[in-house]
Amino acid sequence: MAETLLWVLPLVPSVTALAMLTTRKRRILSGLDVGGSAVLFALTLVLAREVAAGGPRSIGVFRIDDLGLVFLLLLVVLTLTVSIYTVGWLRQAVAVGNMKAESLRSYFALVHAFVATMVVTVLADNLGVLWIAMEGTTITSAVLIGYHGHRHGLEAAWKYIIVTTIGISFGLFGTVLVYAAAADVMGSAGTMSWSAIMQVAPTLDPGIVRIGFIFVMIGYGTKAGLAPMHLWLPDAHSQAPTPVSALLSGVLIKCALLAIIRFQTIAAAACGPAFAEEVLLVFGLISVVVATPFILVQRDLKRLLGYHSVEHVGIVALGLGFGGAVGTYGALLHVVNHGITKALAFFAAGTAIARYGSRDMRAIRGLAAVAPIGATLLMLAALSLAGTPPFSIFVSELMVLRAGIGHGHWVAIAIFLVMVVVIFAGLLHHAGAMVFGEPRGAGRRTEAWSPLLAMLLLAAIMVLMGLTIPASFDGILRRATEVVVG
Amino acid sequence: MSAETVQAIIDDLGALLLFTMILIVAASQISRAIYAVAAQSFLIAIAGAVLATATGNVDLWVIAGVTLVVKATLLPWVLHWVVRRMNVRREVEPVIPVAATLALAVAVVVMSFHLSASLGTVRQAITGNALPVGIALTLSGVLVMATRKTALTQMVGLFASENGIFFTAMAVTQGMPLIIEIGVILDVILAALVMTIMVLRVRSTVDADIADLDRLKG
Repeated sequence: MAETLLWVLPLVPSVTALAMLTTRKRRILSGLDVGGSAVLFALTLVLAREVAAGGPRSIGVFRIDDLGLVFLLLLVVLTLTVSIYTVGWLRQAVAVGNMKAESLRSYFALVHAFVATMVVTVLADNLGVLWIAMEGTTITSAVLIGYHGHRHGLEAAWKYIIVTTIGISFGLFGTVLVYAAAADVMGSAGTMSWSAIMQVAPTLDPGIVRIGFIFVMIGYGTKAGLAPMHLWLPDAHSQAPTPVSALLSGVLIKCALLAIIRFQTIAAAACGPAFAEEVLLVFGLISVVVATPFILVQRDLKRLLGYHSVEHVGIVALGLGFGGAVGTYGALLHVVNHGITKALAFFAAGTAIARYGSRDMRAIRGLAAVAPIGATLLMLAALSLAGTPPFSIFVSELMVLRAGIGHGHWVAIAIFLVMVVVIFAGLLHHAGAMVFGEPRGAGRRTEAWSPLLAMLLLAAIMVLMGLTIPASFDGILRRATEVVVG
Repeated sequence: MSAETVQAIIDDLGALLLFTMILIVAASQISRAIYAVAAQSFLIAIAGAVLATATGNVDLWVIAGVTLVVKATLLPWVLHWVVRRMNVRREVEPVIPVAATLALAVAVVVMSFHLSASLGTVRQAITGNALPVGIALTLSGVLVMATRKTALTQMVGLFASENGIFFTAMAVTQGMPLIIEIGVILDVILAALVMTIMVLRVRSTVDADIADLDRLKG
C-alpha cells in the first residue's frame, strides 16, 4: 500500500496538470486545482499513517522516511491552502487585468507541474533523481515567476534561472564526487541511492566527501536562498504571482534544505559531524547578518518578505550547525513553522497589495479600518515572523538558541540574538505602519471568502504549533531527528 | 587498451578541453564562443567513446552519442539560430575586462589542480586528471556566466560548466547510471529551451535585451 503511494504521489499533480490543459473555463480550472491538491493532501495523510506504523518504505528510486515526511506534510498543506487562496485571488487578478483569462490553463498546469517536481525532490532516494527534480523545479518555477510578462517579472525570472542553474551545477558536481567516493568503496555495485550510500558512509574517503559536501552546500544552498547565494530570492519572491511566492518561500527553499540535510548526514558519517556543522553554521550566520539591513530599509512589501526568508533559512542552517538532537529538532520544526507562517504572510500581503494597488509599504496605510480580518491576519503573521511568543516561530527559534548555548557557540549566539532583536523592531515597525493609521487610497470592500479561508487555516496551524506540538507530529519530528543525528 | 594508454588519452583530451575553455573565456564575438563550446562538447563525446572502448561499458557509448547529437550539434545550432533571429549586434559585453577574466580562469585552473592533488588516494576512483579538469571547466563556466551580461554568452557558460561535470562523471571508474545521465541531459535541454524562449520574449514584449534588465535592486 505505502509502496504504491510512493509512485502515485508524484503522479497526482502531474495528472492534474495534464487535465487542466483540456479546459479554458476559470471555474473548472479552480475546481481541478483545489481537487488535485486535496487528493494529494489526503494520500499524504494515508502515507504518514503507514510510515508511522511500519517505518520507512522504498520502491525503486523513491523512498519515504520520517525526515522526508516532515517536508512532504508541509508541502501538501501549503499546496492545498495555495489552491484555496488562488480561487479568490484569481477572480480579482483577472478583473484588474493582472492575469489574462485566456492563458489561465497554462498557469494552473505549470503550478501543478512545479508541485510534482517538488514532490519528487522530497521522495527521491536516488541522489541523481533528486538533482534532476531540483533542476525541474527551476525550469517550471522560472516560467511562473515571469508569468505577468512585464519587464521586472522577466528580469527576475532570468536572474532566477541563471543564478539557480549556476548553483545547481555545483550541486551536481558535489553529487558526482560523493558518488565517486561511494563507487570506490562499493565496487561495481555502486549506486546513487542515499540509503545505500548511508550504509557505507563511515568508510567513504573523507577528503573527497568534504569537497563534495562544500559543492553541494553551495549548489543546493543557492536554491535554499542562503546568503551570499541568495541574489535571486528577493527579486523572484517579489515579482512572482502571490500564490507562487508562497510556494517558493514556503516549500521550494525547504526542499533544497532537505537535499542539504541528506548530504549532511553522509558527510557527518564520513568525516565526523563537526565539519558539516561548521559549514552550515558559517552560511547560517552570513544569511542572518546579510538579511538584516535589507529588511530594515525595505519599502517593497513582498521584497521585505523575501529577505525575511533569507534570514529564516539562515536560522534553520544555524540550528543544523549547532547540531545535536535539540538543534536538529529545532531546525526541522523551524522549517515547518516558517513555511506555514511565511505562506500566511504572503497571502495577507497579496490581499493588501491588491486592495491598495501598490507593493510600496508607504502607500499601504490603515488596513485595519478597511479590511479588519485581513489586517488582523497580517499583524498575526508579522508578530509570529518577528518571533513573538506564543506563536510557533518563537518556539523553534528558542530551541535553536538553546542548542547553541548547550554547545557553547557564544559568538554565534550573540550575533544571532542582536540580529533577531533588530529584525523584530524593524518588522513590527513596518507592519504597524501598514495596519494602523488613517486609511488612504482604498475603500472598504467586502473581503473575498476563499483567501480568508486559506489564511484562517494557516493561522490556526500557526497558533496551534505555538501552543502545543501535536503528539503524532512530535513523533515524526523526533524520528526525523534520529535520521539526521543517528 | 591498457590503463596507462586510456589515462594518457584522457589527460590529452583534458588539456584540449582546457584550451577550448580559454577560447570561450577570451571570445570577443558570441559566434566564436558558440563554436568553441561545440568543439568542447565534441571532445567530451570522444572522451566518452574512449572510455567506453576501454571499460566495455555500453552505457558510455549511449552517453557519448547523446552528447554528440545534443550538446555538440543541436544546442549550438539553436544558439546560432537565436543569434541570426535576433540579429544580435551586441557581442559578449564583459562586466570586467576579458584579460582580467582570463587571469581569473588561470587562477581557477591552478587552484583545481592544487585541490585535487591534495586528495591523494581517492583519485583512483576517477581516471587520470579528469577531476581537476572537470572542476576547472565547471568553475570557469560559472566565471563566464557571472562576468558576461548578454544572455547567449551566459548560456554558453552554462553549457561549458555542464561539460566539466560530464567529463568528471564519465571518468568515475564505475561510470554513472545511464538513466541519471540521460535525465541530466534532458534537464539541460529543457533549461536551454526555457532560456531561449525568455530571451525571445524579452525582445518581443518589452523590446529590450536581457543585458538591459537591471532595475531590480536593494
